[in-house]
Amino acid sequence: MTAPASPAATVRADLMDPGTLAALGRLEVISRWIVDGLLAGLHRSPKKGFSVEFAEHRAYQPGDDLRFMDWKVAARADKWLIKQYEEETNLRATIVLDVSRSMDWKSRPQLLTKLAYGERLVAALSLLLIRQRDSVGLIRFDDQLRSVVPPKSRTVQWKRILTALAEPGAGQGSDAAGALSQAGKLIRRRGMVILVSDLLLDSQEIDDTVHALRAQGHDVTILHLLDPAERTFDMAAGESEFVDPEQGESLAVTPADVRELYGETVKEAIDEWRARFAGAGAFYEPIGTDQPFGVPLRRAFAARQRLY
Amino acid sequence: MSFLAPWALLLAAAVGVPLVLHLLRRRTGARIDFPAVRYLLRMEREHANEVRLKNLLLMLLRVGIVLAIALAAARPIGPLPGLGHPPTAVAIVIDNSLSSAAAGAGGPLLSRLTASARALLDASNTADRLWLVTMDGAVTGGDAGTLGAALGGLRPLDGAGDAALALRRASAVVRASGVPAQRVVVLTDAQVSSWGAVSTETLGGVPATIVVPEGAPGPNRALTEVVTEPLHWDPRGAVRATMRGADSTTWRVVLEGRTLARGSAKPGAAILAHVQPIARGWASGTVELGPDELRADDVRHFAVHVGEPPAVNLDAGASLFLRGAVDALVQGGRARRGGSVLIASAERARTPGLLFAPADPLKVADANRALERAGIPWRFGARREGPAPLRGAGVEGAVARSWYVLSAVGTPAGVDTLARVGAAPWVVSGDGYVLVASAAEQSATDLPVRAAFVPWLDALLSQRLAQSGAGVIAAVPGALVRVPSRADQLEAPDGSLRAVQSGAQVQLPWTAGVHFWRRAGERIGAVVVNGEASESELARLTGAALADSLGDAAVASGPDGLARATFNVGGSRSLERSFLVLALLLLVAEAIVARRGILKTAAA
Repeated sequence: MTAPASPAATVRADLMDPGTLAALGRLEVISRWIVDGLLAGLHRSPKKGFSVEFAEHRAYQPGDDLRFMDWKVAARADKWLIKQYEEETNLRATIVLDVSRSMDWKSRPQLLTKLAYGERLVAALSLLLIRQRDSVGLIRFDDQLRSVVPPKSRTVQWKRILTALAEPGAGQGSDAAGALSQAGKLIRRRGMVILVSDLLLDSQEIDDTVHALRAQGHDVTILHLLDPAERTFDMAAGESEFVDPEQGESLAVTPADVRELYGETVKEAIDEWRARFAGAGAFYEPIGTDQPFGVPLRRAFAARQRLY
Repeated sequence: MSFLAPWALLLAAAVGVPLVLHLLRRRTGARIDFPAVRYLLRMEREHANEVRLKNLLLMLLRVGIVLAIALAAARPIGPLPGLGHPPTAVAIVIDNSLSSAAAGAGGPLLSRLTASARALLDASNTADRLWLVTMDGAVTGGDAGTLGAALGGLRPLDGAGDAALALRRASAVVRASGVPAQRVVVLTDAQVSSWGAVSTETLGGVPATIVVPEGAPGPNRALTEVVTEPLHWDPRGAVRATMRGADSTTWRVVLEGRTLARGSAKPGAAILAHVQPIARGWASGTVELGPDELRADDVRHFAVHVGEPPAVNLDAGASLFLRGAVDALVQGGRARRGGSVLIASAERARTPGLLFAPADPLKVADANRALERAGIPWRFGARREGPAPLRGAGVEGAVARSWYVLSAVGTPAGVDTLARVGAAPWVVSGDGYVLVASAAEQSATDLPVRAAFVPWLDALLSQRLAQSGAGVIAAVPGALVRVPSRADQLEAPDGSLRAVQSGAQVQLPWTAGVHFWRRAGERIGAVVVNGEASESELARLTGAALADSLGDAAVASGPDGLARATFNVGGSRSLERSFLVLALLLLVAEAIVARRGILKTAAA
C-alpha cells in the first residue's frame, strides 16, 4: 500500500479544511504535513533560529563553564576565549488538552469533533516546537489527569506524545485547574503552557489557575475550540430538547426562534473569556473546528515568538 | 360577513397546531446532544422575558396565519372600510336636452349637472368601468379623464332628445360589462314632458341613482309654433307665431338674414307679421323673441318658397266644385291660369298634374292606360263604397263615399301617401303627380264641399306640383325623415351638402335649423327642425316621483351623497385577496421575528 502524495505538493496542509485533511491519513502523517506546510509559509525570523547558535567571543573569566571554551582558538592563538550563544536555553512548553466528553462532539458529519481537531492540533504543535528544539510535554485531562508526558526536546518525545494522544479519556467532567497546575509543576523554570479546550468548565477556577501560572512567570496561551454550531446554534432541528452530554443539563427550544439571542450570548461569553485572560496576561484565541490548522498553529507559534 | 365556501372554515381548526406546540414546548420528545447547553441556559436567564414574549408573539403570528388562510379559503364577502368601494360599472346619463340650457341661480342647469358628474368621476377609481350617455343616445366610454374631457365638450341639444333611448343604452353597456356592481346614474332636471313617460322596464333591472335639482324652475317664455301663411309666398305672405309666457316681449321676423318685421307681443297673444320679401325661391327664416333664462326656445325656424303662384290648366270636364276652388285660388293670387300643371280626371293623365279618379266607372280602364302612358306607377283597382273617414293633412273630417283601390306598379320610389281611407292610400304623390282615389264629385267625397278643400288644393299646388316641389317637412332634432322624390342632396344650415337617396330615410342632426332638399343643384323643398314645444314647459317631477318611475331608484343630493349611493362605499366585497395579503404579511412578520428577534426588529 502506497502512502498518499503529500498535499503540500499541491495545497499546503495547514490551509486545508480540517475534515478533508483528516481523511487523508493517520495523525502522525497529517501532523507532519501540517508542520511542513506551516514552516514553508513562514517568513524567516529576524532572531535567526531558535536553537543554540554561536554569537560572539569574550574573554574567559574564572568560573566560566569550560564546555564553552573555544579550544581551537586557544590552540592556534593561545587565547582563552569563551563562545557566547544567542540562545542558551530551549523553550519548555506543556500542552494541556481537554479530553472530556463535551470535546467529543461535532454538529455535522463532515466536521471533526473538537477532540479530534484538538489532537491533530496538539500533534502538529508539538512537532513544530520539537523541530525548533524546544522541550514539549503533554497533559490530557477530563475529570482527572489522563496522561502526563513531561517536557523533553528529543525527537522521540513526539512519539511519546502521539502515543499519549491515543489513550482513552472522555470523562464526565473537566478538571482544567488541576491539569494546568500540574503543567506548571512540570515546567520548573519559565516556560509556556498551552491549553486546548472547549472551555465548557468552571471559569473562576481557570481564572485563578491562569493567574497563578502567570505569577510563576509562565506564558499561558488558551486555544478555545468551538464547533461552528456552538457559536451560531445553526442546528437543523425543530422544537427539541438539547442535552449537555457531560453535565446532563437540558433545555427545550426551537433553534430558529432563539438563534439570534444564542449567538449574542456566545459572543458575550467569548468576550468575557477574552477580557478575563487578557486581565491575567494570557493569550486567548477562539478557534472554530472548521478553520484550517494553520490558524491556531500560527497563534501558538506567535506566542512562542513573543517569549524570545 | 358571509362566506361563499363556509366549509373551508374547518381549516381554522389547524390553529390548534401552533397552540399545542407552544403549550407543550417543554415536553417535546426530540433529544439532541449539545455540549454548549450552558450557553442556552445563560441565554434563557439573560433574555427570559424577551424569549417568552417572542415565543408568544410567534405563536400569535402563526395562529393568525392559519386563521387568515382559513378565512381566505372560505371566500368571505363583507365590508372593508377604508379601502374604497368595490369595482363598479357606472353609466352616467346626463340630461343635456334643450331645457338643460336654462339659467338659474348657480348658472346654467347643464353646468350644475356636469359638476355633479365630475364629482362622481372624482370619486371613482381605476377599477371602475365608466360611461357617459347623453340625451341623443351617444355613449362615451373610458376612464375618468376621458369622460371628464367629454363633459367639457358637452353642449345642450336643441330638442328634448330621447330619454328612454339614453336609459336603454346606459343599461345595456352596464349589463354587458360583467362587473357585479352596476349602477345607472341619471343627472337631470326631471322635466315632466321628457321623463314623465319613462318606465321601470327601461333600465332592465339595473339599479339607478338620480340627482334632481332642488327648487322649482323659473318662468319661461317661448315660441311654441311658427307657421307661414300660405306655404308659398307670391311673394306676399305672412308669418304666424304662437308664444307662451307670462310677460310681454319684443319679437322680430328674419328671412335670409334680413329683418322683415318686428314688434312687441302681449302674453298669450299670437304674433302675425305680413311680409313681402325681396328674395325668391326657397328661403329660411326665424322668429325671435327677446331673450330670457332659456334662450334656446326663444328662436324658432321656418322655411318658405317665395315666387310666382303656380300656373294651372283646369280640364274642361272638371267638376263644379273644382272650378270654384281654382277660381278662388286665382282670385286670391294663389294660382294663375294657363300654366303647365294639369288638374283633370285621370283618363287625361300627364305630368305635372293633379289627377282624380274618373267619375264614370266605365272610364277606369282608359284612366289606367293614361296613367301608364304618363309614367305614373299607380293603377285604379276595385271600386269601394263608403262612406269612410279620410285621414291625412288637410282632409281630416272629410269622408269618401266611393273610391278605387290604388295599386302600385312594381315598387315605386319617392312616393308619398298624403291621405288614407281606412288603411288604403287615398291620395298619393310622386314625381310630378298627385293622384286621388276618388272623383272630385260630391257623390264620391264630401271634401270638395268642405272649407278645407281650397287650402288643401292650394297646398298640393304649391308644395307638390309647383316648381317648389317637395314642400316643407317639420321635424324635431334627431328625427328620421324620408327623402322626398326627386331629391338627391340635403343642404345643412351651414351650407354643407350630403348626398341622399330618394325614398330613403335620413336622421337629422340634433341641432335646430332649416335644411333644404336639392335636386340638380336647385332647392326643391325644406326640412325645418325645431325643438319640441313641450321642452319649453319646465315643470319638474319630484325626485321621489322620478325614482319611482325608474324602479325605486336612489335619490342623491350633493357630491358625497351621489358617490355613496353610486359606489356603495363600505358595501360588501370579496375579502379573499385581503385575507391572503394579511396571511402573507403575517408570514413575513413571523420570519422577521423568528430570524432577528424582536429586540433587533424594534431597534431597526
